[in-house]
This record gives sequence, C-alpha cells and structure tokens, in this order.
Amino acid sequence: MSDNSMPPSPDGRQSILEIQELSIQFGGLRAVNNFDLLLRPHDLQGLIGPNGAGKTTVFNMITGVYTPTAGSIALKGLPITGLEPHEINHLGIARTFQNIRLFPSLSVLDNVRIAYHTHAGYSFADGISHSGRFQHKERELTEKAQDFLAVFNLQDRQDWTARNLPYGEQRRLEIARALAAEPQLLLLDEPAAGMNPAESSSLMDLIHFIRERFDLTILLIEHQMRVVMGICEKITVMDFGEVIARGNPQEIQSNPKVIEAYLGPGAAALSEKFRRKRSSEAS
Amino acid sequence: MLKKIPRSNLLFFGGALLIFIIVQVAISTGVLNDFWSTIIRLGGVMAIVSLGLNLIYGYNGQFSLGQWGFYAIGAYVAADITYRWSNDSEATGLSILLIGVLLVGGAIVYLRSQLGKIRGLDALSAFTMYFLATLILGAVAVYLGKLVGPAVAGVLMALPASWSMQIVFILAVLIAGAFAAEVSFLFGLPVLTLGSDYFGIATLGFTIIVKVLLDNSDTMLGFQEMKGARGMVGIPKITTWFWVFFALLIVVVVMRNLLHSSYGRAIVSVREDEIAGKAMGVDVAEYKILAFVIGSFFAGLAGGLYAHINGFLHPDTFNFIQAFNPMIVIVLGGLGSMTGTLVASFTWALLLEGVLRLILPQGFETWRFVVYPLLLLLIMLLRPSGMLGTYEVPYLRQVLPPLKAFAKKINSSKPGSGDPAPVQEATK
Repeated sequence: MSDNSMPPSPDGRQSILEIQELSIQFGGLRAVNNFDLLLRPHDLQGLIGPNGAGKTTVFNMITGVYTPTAGSIALKGLPITGLEPHEINHLGIARTFQNIRLFPSLSVLDNVRIAYHTHAGYSFADGISHSGRFQHKERELTEKAQDFLAVFNLQDRQDWTARNLPYGEQRRLEIARALAAEPQLLLLDEPAAGMNPAESSSLMDLIHFIRERFDLTILLIEHQMRVVMGICEKITVMDFGEVIARGNPQEIQSNPKVIEAYLGPGAAALSEKFRRKRSSEAS
Repeated sequence: MLKKIPRSNLLFFGGALLIFIIVQVAISTGVLNDFWSTIIRLGGVMAIVSLGLNLIYGYNGQFSLGQWGFYAIGAYVAADITYRWSNDSEATGLSILLIGVLLVGGAIVYLRSQLGKIRGLDALSAFTMYFLATLILGAVAVYLGKLVGPAVAGVLMALPASWSMQIVFILAVLIAGAFAAEVSFLFGLPVLTLGSDYFGIATLGFTIIVKVLLDNSDTMLGFQEMKGARGMVGIPKITTWFWVFFALLIVVVVMRNLLHSSYGRAIVSVREDEIAGKAMGVDVAEYKILAFVIGSFFAGLAGGLYAHINGFLHPDTFNFIQAFNPMIVIVLGGLGSMTGTLVASFTWALLLEGVLRLILPQGFETWRFVVYPLLLLLIMLLRPSGMLGTYEVPYLRQVLPPLKAFAKKINSSKPGSGDPAPVQEATK
C-alpha cells in the first residue's frame, strides 16, 4: 500500500477493487489517463480534484456506463471491464449520483424495493397471478426495504413520492437505495453537495455508520474538504485526468502539487510563504 | 383457511359484474340496438389495445406507434383462422399457426435463457439467432400443420357445430395475441436499442409496412381469402359483449398484478430514470422488451376480437393515421393510469362513433373529425395530465403495507432527525 506501483495481487481477497492504467478518450480529449487505484476491504477512500478532473468519469467507468479505452478494472480479482452497468451492480458495486437520480414519481418504499427485483424469489407467472408464493416473498422483501428505511430514518416517509422529499432526505434515500442492493463496494459521488455544515456533519456520521453496519468498502468523490479530510483514510487527487497525489489527509493538505491544482501555479509558494509568516508571527 | 378478501377487490369485481350484467341485459332486451352494442364492444376492444400501449408508453416510457400494426396482425391472423374453419371447414390454418406459435414461443424462451449466459452479446447477433430459429421452426410448423390439419378438423367436426366454432374462435384470438407478441419480440429486439424518439419513428414505419402488406395480401403474401385492398369479408361474427368483457377483465387484472410486482417496478423504473435503473441492476433492455411484448400481446388479442365484431376487415382501418387512436386515448385518459385508459376508450368510442354521429345533422357526419379534434384540444388545454391524471380506482391502486411495529417504535423514540447514531443503538 505504501508505494503506488501496486503489484497485481494473486490472492483475490486482498483487494476489493483494483484499477490499473485506466484510460478513456472522448474524441481528441483524454478524459482519464493512466489511473490506478487499489481498494482493500473496509477502506474508506476519497477521490478529489478540481472540476473537470475526471473523477465522475472514473466512477462511470467502474460502474460500466463508459467502456474504458485502455486499462483494467477488477472486482475481487474478477475483471469487470466492458460489462453492462446492471451486471456490475449484480456483482456488488452500487453508486449514488452527483445530481440525485431517484425514481421521482415512485414512492419512497418502491425506490428501495426496486433493488430487490433480481432476487425477488418469484417467477413471472407468480407475478401476474399474485400467487401465494408472490404474497409471501413480496411481504418479505417489503419488510427488508422498510428495515432499510428505518436505518436511514425515512420510515415515516415510505408512502411519499420521492420527488417531494426535502433535499437531505433525497440524498439519504439514494444511499439507502444503493445499499438495498447489498453491495460490497459503495461509490458516493459528491454526497455532501448542497448541504450545510450541520447536514454534512450528520452525513459524515452516516457514512461511518453504514460502513460499520454493512461492512462496506467506500470510495467517495467530494468537494467539501471538511468532509473529505474528516472521514477519508486515504485520498487520491486528480487533475486533468491524471493522478497527481495520493496519501493520507495530512500529506495531501501540504502537497504543493495539490495546492497548485486547486489554486493555480505559484499558489504553493505563496501558501508556503504565508505559513512561514504566520509561524514567525506566532513565535 | 379462507383469507379476508380486501374491500377494494370486492368493490372492483362487484362493480365489474354489475356493469357486465346491466349491459348484457340491455343488449338482450333490445334496449341497446345493434348500433350501440357494436360501439360498446369497439370501446372494449379499444380499451385492450390502449392498455397495452399504456404499458409500453405510459409505464415503460417508450413512445410507440406500432401498436396499431400489431392490432392489424392480430385481426388478420384470427380472421384467417376462423374464416378457413367456417367457410371451408378446414383446420390446417389453425394447426399451422398453433404449432408455429408454440414452437417459436418455446424457442424464444429457451434461446433467451441460453443467450443470457453469454456476456456482452450485442442485440443484432441475438436477433439473427432468434430470426433463424423462427424461420426454421416456421417451416417445421407448416409441414407439421399440414400433416395434422385433417385430423384436427375431424376432431372438431365430431363436436357440436356451435362448440367447435367457439373453440376455434378462442384459439384464434389467443393465437393472434401470441403471434403479435412474437412478431413484436423479433421487431423490438433490434429496434428497442434506439432512443425513444427514433423508436417512435421506427414503430410508425412498422405500422405502415403492415398496412402495405395487408393491401397486397392476396398478391404479395398469397392469401387469397384476405382479398387485399378490397377488404376481407365473410368472417363469422362471434365477438359478443361477453367475450369483450371477459378479455378486458383478464387484461386489466393481469396488468394490475404485473405492475404491482417487482417486474412492474422494474418496468416503471425504466421510464423514471434509465441510468439510475441500470445502476440499481435493472436490465433496461430486457424490461423494454418485456413491456413491448406484453403490450403487443394485448394488441393482438384485441385485434382478434375486433375482426369478429363486424365480420369485415379492411386495410384502411389499420392506416397509420388511425395508429394515433390508442395514443390519443391513453394521453386523454392520463399516461400511467389504467382507470383513465378504460374511461377514455369507452368515451372515445361512444363520442366519435355514437354521440357525434347522432347530434350532427344529416350529411354532416364528416364534421365529427372537426368537432372531435377540437374537443381533444380543449381537454388537453384544460387538463394537460389527462382526464383522470394518475387517479386509479382502489383495486388498481398500489396499497403500501403498513410499517412494522419495530420501525414505528424507532420513529416514536426519535422523531424526524438526520442523526443516525440513536438509530444505530435501536436497531442493534
């Protein structure tokens, strides 16, 4: 873990997600170039970078929305490059979206219940006849869905139409829906976007809580530095489609390359000067 | 052991039975003459077609004008079977189509389960396999059908004449539905990969192709009895109010059950947000096909019923201008509302063919195509979401199960807070 070369682990259990030399090209634009990432079980890692750095593109490649031009993605040692998004979901990767994508005119409960559609446990014939087996299985999965809502404190909202929920609850519902698919890896795309400090604090608690409770590995994209620095154990910084730094929050905060990427060339020197000035004033 | 039947079910089936009896009595006693009874039956047939389209467009979000084409296919398939039986007493047509529909249906189900195992198979390669299988099995069906046709005819002859006619009719209508569904599967497989608007154009093309083929059915297709553009006559008039009502009731119940199952939720999720659906593991392509095939099955079924109302079929009925009829009905009734579709289809039939024909003075019947669009315009301006919006009668409405006791307990101990910490304690 200490170096960035990341030798391929022969033992699949070592890593949950292993990305190697991932690149994608849109026409003449190389959106992501030689991206590497290794997630071990129970990791909570962050992916940051200025707007347009290619973070969401990486998410879209992991979840199969885009097919990478080069490179490989492996989930628990199994290559998933080129699979359809729904197949990748079945293998255990769930995600949320930067701009919330619920099923807006469905009820809150149904938003969660959709996650069970592949393992509902009854056949099509049961479905159209509402047989005894259907009733039984449907009750089971409904209770499971209600449990999820209760975990996220949305249980008294189950019959609301999803689009009528307040913003913070829509975020929570999206996470609940993603978790209902019982993934091993959860990708959160800017979960704290548009939240005030109090809301983002409770979101941080929530992320910690779901990681423990569902034994998850989490990768998140976030712009609010307070959130990223507060909960991520390891952070990868991207700029113009390339990884420019990787390390724990302290290392990242003082990395000149990162400061330059965010604030422009010369900013690192300026901030160094500023810090020295402040420390000399203090002494 | 008897479970309590929900009140909404009692109300729905009781109401349905009542409507059936009232109309049936009115027809039997002659209160409703032939003219009105035909209109009501047409309304019922329209309701079946439109429910199918509502599943495709209203619930699955795929703008389709192909519904009318499948309706036409169903009508001609069913008409051909009963025509051959009632006029020539031969069951070869019935046998060929029955065997063909069963073989191809089985092959599609089997191939689908096998091809599903291949990762990354593109739609066109899959289509080629299905198409080849259909051609081969079609040839097999023709051979087998000719072989067993006389025997089937013999068995049917042994039954009383009215019985055998009814059996042939029921089989013909079911075959018409299955045939339309199978055609829609083969057509939809490559075409449903298109985006919604392009899909609409492609399905319009399909309806036009079907109409042209029917115009030339005696020359290009070689079915002399269909008489091409002159119109097919001599189809037995068997579709009674009972059959229309019975078929409509089954369609409504099946569709309601489907929509309230996990298959239905997956179908609706495609309309809501395809990308989110995929991310939740919904195989979007599969559910588009599923909705399209079921919708077309309903269209074929309705076509089979329609063919036996007037005993006369003309390709002009299946013109692409008419293809907008079911679309108008579902938009008028409210997209994604079964109740709305039911109300709108009967309103449509009564208004366009019945009331307007009567209130307009003699010689001005064609003016109903001026009055009717104006009425549509008015309704759309006043109620843009359709006459009934998303209203459903209680039976068709989804009833959410009550909260479990333990969830309520958490709720009362910690009302409406985003802080998950206390929840953690409560659920552990």
